[in-house]
Amino acid sequence: MCNVGDDNFDDLENSKYMPAKEKISPFSKCNKCREATPIVVLRSKDKYCKECFLSGTVHKFKALLGKHKLIRPNDRVLVVHRCGHAGTALLHFIRTGLDLGTHKKLRFEPVVLFVEDHSHLSLKERQELLKRVEHEINYFKFTMHLTSLSHLIRKGVNSEVLKNCAEILDLDDDSKSIIDNFVTKQTNTTNKTDFLNIARHKFMVDIAKELNCKFIFTPEISSDVASQLLTDVSLGRGSHIALNTGFCDFRDDTVKILRPLRLFDMKELGFYNHLNSLNPVTYRIVIDNPYKSIQHLMRKFVNDLQVNYPATVTTILKTGDKLALGSNKIRTCDLCNAPFEEESADLNSAESTQFSHWVSTQAHNSSLTSQERYIQTIEAFNNLTCDTYCFRCRQLMK
Amino acid sequence: MPPCSTKCGKNAILKRPKTGDVLCKECFFEAFENEIHFTITRAKLFKPNSKVAIAASGGKDSTVLAYVLKLLNQKYDYKLDLTLLSIDEGITGYRDDSLETVKQNRDDYEMPLKIMSYKDLYGWTMDEIVAEIGRKNNCTFCGVFRRQALDRGAVLLKVDYLATGHNADDIAETVLMNILRGDLARLSRCSAIITDSGDGIPRVKPLKYTYEKEIVMYAYFRKLVYFSTECVFAPNAYRGHARVLLKDLEKIDPSVIMNIIQSGESLKINESANMPTLRKCTRCGYVSSQEVCKACVLLEGLNKGLPKLGIGKSSKVKKFIQEKNCKTDCLCNNK
Repeated sequence: MCNVGDDNFDDLENSKYMPAKEKISPFSKCNKCREATPIVVLRSKDKYCKECFLSGTVHKFKALLGKHKLIRPNDRVLVVHRCGHAGTALLHFIRTGLDLGTHKKLRFEPVVLFVEDHSHLSLKERQELLKRVEHEINYFKFTMHLTSLSHLIRKGVNSEVLKNCAEILDLDDDSKSIIDNFVTKQTNTTNKTDFLNIARHKFMVDIAKELNCKFIFTPEISSDVASQLLTDVSLGRGSHIALNTGFCDFRDDTVKILRPLRLFDMKELGFYNHLNSLNPVTYRIVIDNPYKSIQHLMRKFVNDLQVNYPATVTTILKTGDKLALGSNKIRTCDLCNAPFEEESADLNSAESTQFSHWVSTQAHNSSLTSQERYIQTIEAFNNLTCDTYCFRCRQLMK
Repeated sequence: MPPCSTKCGKNAILKRPKTGDVLCKECFFEAFENEIHFTITRAKLFKPNSKVAIAASGGKDSTVLAYVLKLLNQKYDYKLDLTLLSIDEGITGYRDDSLETVKQNRDDYEMPLKIMSYKDLYGWTMDEIVAEIGRKNNCTFCGVFRRQALDRGAVLLKVDYLATGHNADDIAETVLMNILRGDLARLSRCSAIITDSGDGIPRVKPLKYTYEKEIVMYAYFRKLVYFSTECVFAPNAYRGHARVLLKDLEKIDPSVIMNIIQSGESLKINESANMPTLRKCTRCGYVSSQEVCKACVLLEGLNKGLPKLGIGKSSKVKKFIQEKNCKTDCLCNNK
């Protein structure tokens, strides 16, 4: 420490002093073009001017689509619309992409779908919301189909459930009870939400098939994908992470689900909408108790951790990207349609849990020694694997 | 209380968090022990007539592990030679007290005990290390040093297996933590029940599928002696976030722990992902994925007055080592 050249203070600085916050000076320049004055700071350090921000964001969208080379010209794509910044930004990306005159224009045929699913609002509020959504989609001049979740539950997917305009969509008064009855067999909120999500997924795929679409776009952003990944791990769906959180969900043979906004965060999309003078449709939400279900808890956890550790969401996404589906999967789950492994030769958690339950409920025969009782238990224990459902869906369908 | 699920006639005294079944005391003991026996036999953890070192800290997990292994060894005739191995990290007020508990275990369970200390192995106690580096990142030092200390102890004792008391909650927590940190290498290994550390002495986790709550209940009802204070340096670890998350998840649905382990076991890494390869440390010869193993890096940092050397980017470490290795007549570009 006292010799010349030994002043290696690089690492000590971090522990001794508070990290210096970069001051936004009036002379700072955009990171990209280094000419204009920046108007937005992303990720706490990257400054962009208006033009560079807009062109960068649009480029990011197109690059993700182009990288995977899945969509061919004239393919029909079902664009699932949801209220909020993500949905609005997605529509704008697509509309401007299609209207581009250059060779970089997007070349597919979008069809917008909106599934009304806000049974916590009153009937009048829902009808108004529907009209505003219709207005928004019309602003972007897209072909649209509107329907309601309770309709899909009651009547299934067919051409009469999908309407072209809000007036003729007759909302169910008792939507909430229809949905509650649908998930009534599930015992807790986590399972109900999980089951409902699987059902929504199925409806989406069936609608895409009905409308002859090869692809579906969903407006999930990075924090949604990150909390979905952790939720999947917590529910035992670890083997399906590549499908549920990757760019492409290819479990169905004919329809692929794509997540073009998975690398964007809310700030980027919010700013994008603001600079394009777009106001997404909003509605009253219920403040949920985050400890009500695993899905809620994970969302809260990711958002909270992101505050102090800004690399959280990106790290989770990157980890998810590197996880693959196993190679020796044969069966497809009857409920979630994902591939899953049959009985494995090695001991795994599922078998252990089954054994625990078996051991806890075996009739106690006090005339035998405990060693004899064990042998009896083990002989009677069949690793009762169900062949038709994956690990998690088995818990839902019990 | 409702009657015991096994219909043995007695009243239940607890509800198992793992399955929700209610059991009386004796049936709980039997179920708990049978499950560990099932894990050991089904996963083929031990070969008969082997020597096994049990990593003992005096805490509830290692105490219960030692107790149950001894019990099952006699009951089902595993023919194992069991011995206790303990590490003295030199944390005043924590480790010196828990070591007394381990000595009690040695006497109660009639097993030989070997104690390895950081002071003897590395020349530093944890108290001295924390005085040098501060209150952050101490778990890194302790964990790396302890792993090596256990390996060296196992080699000295000439055992065939090293059994640790990692329970289901630990493994679930580790899976979550490794996802949050993006540590693919550890993620692919952490849920394995047998891990080979490369030098021939595999580590096994017989309590892998046992819930922490059930271990506490077992120790309580069996009236086992254990030391239950948290390490004084623990509160600032990153692992704390994963632990709090896991506790919250468990409150919503206790089967989450087994679900996470199931997910961890079924994770497969993409072939295209970059995974580290195993080789030997150039300084001490221990297995490592880098040229110089982490323990040597940390130790060098401590001895040279650069305690942050092992923390943070390993690229800076490489640069530092390279600069040190260059002599004046070296032809490389480092000046």
